Amino acid sequence: MPIDITMPRLSDTMEKGTIIKWHVAEGDEVSSGDVLADVETDKATMEMQSFDDGTVHSLPVGEGQPVEVGTVVAVLLEEDESPEDATPSKPAEPAPADAATPAAKAASPGTTPEPVSADGSPSSSARSSTGQFRISPVARRLADDHGIDPTSLVGSGPSGRIVKRDILAAIGTGEETRSAVPPSAGTAPPAPAAQQISQPPAPVVPAVSVSATPVSSGQITIPGALQSHREPLTGMRQTIAQRLVESKQSIPHYQVSMTLDVDPLLSLRKSLNSQLAGTGSKISVNDLIVRACGLAMYANPLMNASWAGDAIEYHGDVNIGVAISLPQEKGGGLVVATIRNVDRKSIRIISAETRALSEKARSRGLTIDEMSESTFTISNLGMYGITDFTAIINPPNSAILAVGAALEKPVVRNGELTVGREMTVTLSNDHRVVDGATAAQYLVSLREFIENPAQILV
Amino acid sequence: MSRTIEFRDALREAMSGEMRDDARIFLIGEEVAEYDGAYKVSRGMLEEFGPRRIIDTPISETGFAGLGIGAAMMGLRPIVEFMSWSFSLVAADQILNNAPKMLYMSGGQLRVPIVFRGNDGAGGQLGSTHSWCVESLYANVPGLKIVIPSDPYDAKGLLTAAIRDPDPVFCLESERMLSMTGGVPEEAYSIPIGQAVVRREGTDCTVVSFGRPVHFCMEAAEELAKEGIDCEVIDGRSIKPLDIDTITASVRKTNCCVVVDQSWSFASIGSEVAAQVHRYCFDDLDNHVHRVHSDDVPAPYAHDLEAEMLPNARKICEAVRSATYNA
Amino acid sequence: MLHIDFHHSAKKTRMLTDPTTVTSSSTPSTQAHASEQVPLPGPDVLKKWLYDMKLIREFEVRAMQAYQNKLAGGFLHVYNGQEAVAVGTIAALQKGDPVITAYRDHGHALARGMDPKVGMAELFGRIDGCAKGKGGSMHFFDVPNHMYGGHGIVGAQTPVGAGLAFATMYEDEVINKGKNSHVTLCFLGDGALNQGAFHEAANLAKVMNLPVIYIVENNRYAMGTAIERCTSAADSLLHKAVAYGMDAVKINGMDITETYPAMKSLVDDIRANPRPAFVDMDCYRFKGHSVSDPRKYRTSEEELENEANCPIENLSKFLLSSGVMEEADIKAMTKEIRTEIRAVVKWAEESPPPGIEELYHDVYVEEWGPYTGTSLPNFMKDKPGGQA
Repeated sequence: MPIDITMPRLSDTMEKGTIIKWHVAEGDEVSSGDVLADVETDKATMEMQSFDDGTVHSLPVGEGQPVEVGTVVAVLLEEDESPEDATPSKPAEPAPADAATPAAKAASPGTTPEPVSADGSPSSSARSSTGQFRISPVARRLADDHGIDPTSLVGSGPSGRIVKRDILAAIGTGEETRSAVPPSAGTAPPAPAAQQISQPPAPVVPAVSVSATPVSSGQITIPGALQSHREPLTGMRQTIAQRLVESKQSIPHYQVSMTLDVDPLLSLRKSLNSQLAGTGSKISVNDLIVRACGLAMYANPLMNASWAGDAIEYHGDVNIGVAISLPQEKGGGLVVATIRNVDRKSIRIISAETRALSEKARSRGLTIDEMSESTFTISNLGMYGITDFTAIINPPNSAILAVGAALEKPVVRNGELTVGREMTVTLSNDHRVVDGATAAQYLVSLREFIENPAQILV
Repeated sequence: MSRTIEFRDALREAMSGEMRDDARIFLIGEEVAEYDGAYKVSRGMLEEFGPRRIIDTPISETGFAGLGIGAAMMGLRPIVEFMSWSFSLVAADQILNNAPKMLYMSGGQLRVPIVFRGNDGAGGQLGSTHSWCVESLYANVPGLKIVIPSDPYDAKGLLTAAIRDPDPVFCLESERMLSMTGGVPEEAYSIPIGQAVVRREGTDCTVVSFGRPVHFCMEAAEELAKEGIDCEVIDGRSIKPLDIDTITASVRKTNCCVVVDQSWSFASIGSEVAAQVHRYCFDDLDNHVHRVHSDDVPAPYAHDLEAEMLPNARKICEAVRSATYNA
Repeated sequence: MLHIDFHHSAKKTRMLTDPTTVTSSSTPSTQAHASEQVPLPGPDVLKKWLYDMKLIREFEVRAMQAYQNKLAGGFLHVYNGQEAVAVGTIAALQKGDPVITAYRDHGHALARGMDPKVGMAELFGRIDGCAKGKGGSMHFFDVPNHMYGGHGIVGAQTPVGAGLAFATMYEDEVINKGKNSHVTLCFLGDGALNQGAFHEAANLAKVMNLPVIYIVENNRYAMGTAIERCTSAADSLLHKAVAYGMDAVKINGMDITETYPAMKSLVDDIRANPRPAFVDMDCYRFKGHSVSDPRKYRTSEEELENEANCPIENLSKFLLSSGVMEEADIKAMTKEIRTEIRAVVKWAEESPPPGIEELYHDVYVEEWGPYTGTSLPNFMKDKPGGQA
């Protein structure tokens, strides 16, 4: 194959080049490294070298003719090649002296476009004077949400800007302007404004201005009705989504349930709390279950273990995680607080720690330490009257106990039908660690403690 | 178990704790060994780890910063101490070109797990050359991370996270906080890089800050509470990555935001936070984001002038009042 | 006080200059006459050297051609004329010894064992390039072959080179509690001698006695400025190293039969007695600083005179005269290399360009924010954390 030599790019910005002088003629022998021509680039006059050995077959571009980089300027024949191997090369088209000119000329005659301002809109904008008012973004959104025409309001911000408090005043439920709030006001308004914003629009009949924009037909506001909207995920929601999907998809879950007689437990609680009256301590059913779950580990250490890929890791500490749901106005979600070493703590301490962590979770949030290193988790929905449910394991735990409500039921005691209180608990297990019989044995141990609760106290 | 210790001790605990577990970690810098650290951060470390791991250097930032980078490329985990971040400027090519870009330029072949740490911000009448707040300058560069603890607990947790991180991390400490005391657990723990924390909850105005000025924000918040303005104070903890989610969640609640940043205002952390808040919370804002910075002048020497130049509680109060239309 | 001793070796023909060593009295050099002690390797290794040097030359020639054909972009600094330096010094290393250099880095990478295909693909900005097309000509990295770059800022690699040596010594002595077993080669151009970074690195390397050899490829031009015009003591660079208490030696880099023995004895000595050393490597850059350099600062007479001292020709002549190879063998080798590099160019051309997602990979080890590596960067989604 004959070798095409093209106009080289001899600088980082070169687009075109001009052969100033050919150093070879057709028929000359050249070898790799030989200088073929001097080429004028946009920056300098440079040598154009040959990268191959051969005979110059043709030089289609003459001296002084500017051509684009990549245009064939010479053709070499390698050893053993004849001129017939070379396809006749077309003369190179000269590069236009100024590529922009013809197009520019074609476009220029006649049409004189309107002057346009930088943003593309006509330069002399004549906005209607009714539209000229200032409003902060959140004030505009609030006005829209509540069907208020802000143009009828007088703003209290700089240059009459309508700000949030002006809209709140117009709605009639908001705070007074800040200057009216007395310093160190002990009694805050019943609901902070920020919380109202996130709630569905209240069935407000504004005292002022609203009549200026009558509600258009088809837009009937039903108190409490739902509205379509999309809320971006909070970090908490993302974490829950990621971790629980991971748990449910990677852990082979199965459940075992048992119904427990909780009469003895509830009467123990009652007597404990009457003794503790006035101390500020109050024991919950959950506190007793936390302790019982912990004590039941001694006979069932596998329940207090973790799957570690190539091993099962038994934990020396019994740390019970307690699922805590967070209030909706904090964005909802749940966290698991760790009550450490419950097998070595009194009910009173467990109760106090649980209450403290639960309050902290709902107000300021927990630290990583306060949420880490649990070995078993309890989720209790009894307070909602839920009879039974299944929970998803909280890795790296091997099990989670779902606790239902203590309900009054007809029961058979000592062969007689009577009214008793029962509670159903459901244990979700990681089958890689805990087999069915092990889980069953654990519930038997747990029942021992719950139905003979004096043991929980020692 | 948590005890009360100084900020400098918390930094040392992070380094010593990690060094005991990982022989690849070493500490290098000016006066870190025999002098016990110019600010006594590394006190006693030479005795424990010996001169092969606690290494005194010449006053030669380009040299030892570059040496650390080369060592990190080979898989070691250097901690490079700059006596002051002001002195890092002479090593700028190493810390901005070599450390953060090596992974990218090598197509993922070479990690640079290195920590650069030292004092950032005005020390106390040190004049202009020694009072640099480098965060705005350096945060512009992709490939590096910046953490900026504001108390001893964060100092240990963030520096531990920095040492364990596989990327270059700049840890910005403050000479003015080294003697601050606070509760710090004895055991090792790390605070995730890129997570802010709400230091004070409030409903009227979100005040975002980083490092030492967080304390001025808390001071201002107490003052403003007396006027009935309830501030929510967010400590960013990390500058890069920036936990914009925590900031925007707060601004959506308060509809108002003030950023307090100890560096100069032009093209700064403050302007970045403001831009992002405007971007993500535009329809939630009741006013434009207000910013409090060091004044746009070289740091002066005279005591009162320096105090006036830096962000302080008075300036923060003024900004919050203005942002909440209470000026 | 330092003694400066000039040892004149009477050995060898075809020397540009006599090898000259300078030592400080505190660390007497043991290798002043060492080049006489290290024999040349056997014929197979000599032939391999010729092959490697010719391969580098052909790689560079085709790289220039590719650049002119717009297959390669950016800057292109070729190594023509200096092949004996990379091949002759790296031949003195053991596996595991790190190598680092500046931006004229193709020769070192190839000599250290980089596959020319991934080098060429890098020049073309393709995904199969040694740095996935993110580094380019000036940033050749090949960690499995202990090639640590490829650094674009003049002198910036010199403290990093000290760090590589620090790390190998730390690994050997502190972690493995053994004896130093590595030597780092840190190459720099004569222009880099005027960067502060080099002087900080030299001081630090000596203070810490790091096993690193700074090889100044003295090709007599800092970009387009002759060494006499920009570097003090241009005719006695060794003094600069002696000022730092380093062993220093001048070596002929145009004749690998001199380069290798001198380097081998130096490398072995540094391995056994860790400390930094400095080499003034005499060589000549046949081409311009970059391929867009018209070389107006030097005469064609000078170029012709130096090109006559071509390192590849020098080794070819040695192999012919010593009977290791015949003309026909060399011609066949040339042809083989030409064929190989043609295939390399073709392979690189066929490698696809990196996907847009590569833009966001490798910014951080664990990706976050806008650097998620997904096809759609976060800032194009309506999500906080991105940068709008």
